[in-house]
Amino acid sequence: MSDAGTAGLSAARPVLTVAALSKTFGSLAVLDNINLKVHRRETICLLGPSGSGKSTLLRCINWLEKPDSGQIYLNGERIGVSRGGVVMADRDLSSMRTRIGMVFQHFALWPHLTVLQNVMAAPIYVLRRPRAEVRAEAEDLLAKVGLSDKRDAFPAKLSGGQKQRVGIARALAMRPELLLFDEPTSALDPELVGEVLNVMRKLARDGMTMIVVTHEMGFAREAASRIAFLDRGRIVESALPEQFFLTPATDRAKQFLQRYAGNGSWQAGQFSELHPGGPP
Amino acid sequence: MRHDFLVVWGERGLLLSGLGNTVVLSLAATIAALGLGAALAPGLMAARGRYRLAFTGFVDGLRCIPFLLFAYIVYYGLPSLGLNLDNWTAGLAALTIYNTAYMAEILRGAWATQPRDPVDAGYAFGFTGVGHFRRIVLPPLLLSAAPVVGNQVIQIVKDSAFLTVIALPELTHAASSIQSRHYIPFAAFITAVLLYWMLCLAIEAGVACLGRVAEARR
Amino acid sequence: MSAADILAILQGAATTATLSLTAICLGLPLGLALALARWANIPIVAPFVAVYVSILRATPLVTLLLLLFFALPSIGVPIGAVAAALVALTMNTSAFNCEVWRAGLMNFPKDQFEAAQSVGMRRRQRLQRIVLPQVLRACLPGLVNEISLLIKVTPVLAVVGVVDITRAAVRIGAETYDPLPPLLVALAIYVPMVYAIVRVARLTERRLAQTEAA
Repeated sequence: MSDAGTAGLSAARPVLTVAALSKTFGSLAVLDNINLKVHRRETICLLGPSGSGKSTLLRCINWLEKPDSGQIYLNGERIGVSRGGVVMADRDLSSMRTRIGMVFQHFALWPHLTVLQNVMAAPIYVLRRPRAEVRAEAEDLLAKVGLSDKRDAFPAKLSGGQKQRVGIARALAMRPELLLFDEPTSALDPELVGEVLNVMRKLARDGMTMIVVTHEMGFAREAASRIAFLDRGRIVESALPEQFFLTPATDRAKQFLQRYAGNGSWQAGQFSELHPGGPP
Repeated sequence: MRHDFLVVWGERGLLLSGLGNTVVLSLAATIAALGLGAALAPGLMAARGRYRLAFTGFVDGLRCIPFLLFAYIVYYGLPSLGLNLDNWTAGLAALTIYNTAYMAEILRGAWATQPRDPVDAGYAFGFTGVGHFRRIVLPPLLLSAAPVVGNQVIQIVKDSAFLTVIALPELTHAASSIQSRHYIPFAAFITAVLLYWMLCLAIEAGVACLGRVAEARR
Repeated sequence: MSAADILAILQGAATTATLSLTAICLGLPLGLALALARWANIPIVAPFVAVYVSILRATPLVTLLLLLFFALPSIGVPIGAVAAALVALTMNTSAFNCEVWRAGLMNFPKDQFEAAQSVGMRRRQRLQRIVLPQVLRACLPGLVNEISLLIKVTPVLAVVGVVDITRAAVRIGAETYDPLPPLLVALAIYVPMVYAIVRVARLTERRLAQTEAA
């Protein structure tokens, strides 16, 4: 696994370290000895065919799924297992989760709460921050994602793209050290994908540390600081976006890219500056 | 016949007090049974656990018992174990415990149809334990279960009538008393039937209202 | 509790079983008739059925039974305890059955009906050969569930003096000053009965889902 992508970034302690992470479902190795480091302000895109373990890896990071072996460290602190090797108590796990934000494929907004309440709920009830302060910040975040006028609406009344933007605001309200995106645009109608990707691009530009599982190749090429390509539970290739998309090192990556050329919101024109003759 | 109904009208105080007792009894039992059922439901929902078998046994067993028999056991049977209850306490206890099983089962059934993602999101944002159940799981669950709970409330109202056998002064008891004193069985009981019907329609209207609240939040 | 006591309770069980079975045999077709009347929208009858069913489903069985037992004689219709109990049970179960049948009829796929019409089947044939056989299968779990509910309300018979399981148990308890054992015996008879019927209901539901999926 090439570490060339991290050259030039701070040599400080990584925000997230995944070491030798493995998980099996029955006899199937869903994750096989995953090693990954994510530094501050990096945007890592996890790409790969379905079943490659991308979502499982993401969900293991905040222990929504329990890995079978390996370690995960958030800013040096181990997640899921406390000192002494014992599985973490609910309270400690909850406290670690508050430092990791997650955006779900199917939005996962809480249907009985309004948009504003969705954004405010966790900071108030989990972090116990004062209501007035949380409210002000929530209004601010909704404005940033362009949904101020929907603050009192219930999620049922929103479009998919709007729901996902609320989901992003909700995750940001926790001021996380790391943001996880689990195929954030896969459940959206094509014309709604753009509004969500725009918000994500802006977050990446503003220096948020993000791990994004996606099929949106255009976004990955534009916004990622690094691509990690998974196949059958392993990180098969890890490289800078230009390297990965233009000169993939492994055969599996080459096959994958061939299949995906022209899918998603990948625009042919995005290649023109590097390939004057058109897409490969 | 008209004279009979005039007599009933003359006894409206007793009838209304009986109706009031029915309402109080049913309301108290509903709230208590819902609360206890909500506490019991996670035990039923757990994938494994030694509690699950015990809870499921309790719920399934209780739902196989006729309510009148259960009321008799609570009122007549418990004293021989040293627990002497007056008819109000026994009636309320019987109604509550009996319907806790039904409410727990209703909530479990509704839970099975709830989407999993918002629950996971709750955990991902650090909600945990009782707080997670109270704020993330329960509200949408109650909203989605409202129609079935509404039917159960109607059942509770009807079961409360059984408690006339332990001399609880609810509506049927009041009608019985009027009937036996004035020999106007038709007028007395028809009036009671109509009052039960109106109560039932009121409950159904309440459920319809909740249904609209639930729709907005679906 | 002596052997004679247990015998008395078993006799009560026989009474319960007989009355329940009769009420079911009468109530099922009656419920179907009511449901058909509403489904076919027969003028005057249909709204009357709707009101009748609504009131009956809201009325506690105790109240209905007392009404029949005391009120009918007073307007010139002599009726004994057993007859009153039977009528009350039948009326009650027919109202609930009606709703189960109605749900089945309303969920009946319209295109099958239209297919039967288009080949020229007349109303009675359509009903008999196409609609009813399938509706019966679809309603089976709900109807069996309703039977279990019927068994659970039979103790109401005790209120007018019919000696069913519950009344026998209560009477023995009063005579021996030891109310709990006979009540528990009664429990031991009811619970397996109801449980068995509930299992049958679940089995039919599962079988139905399987044949639907197939």
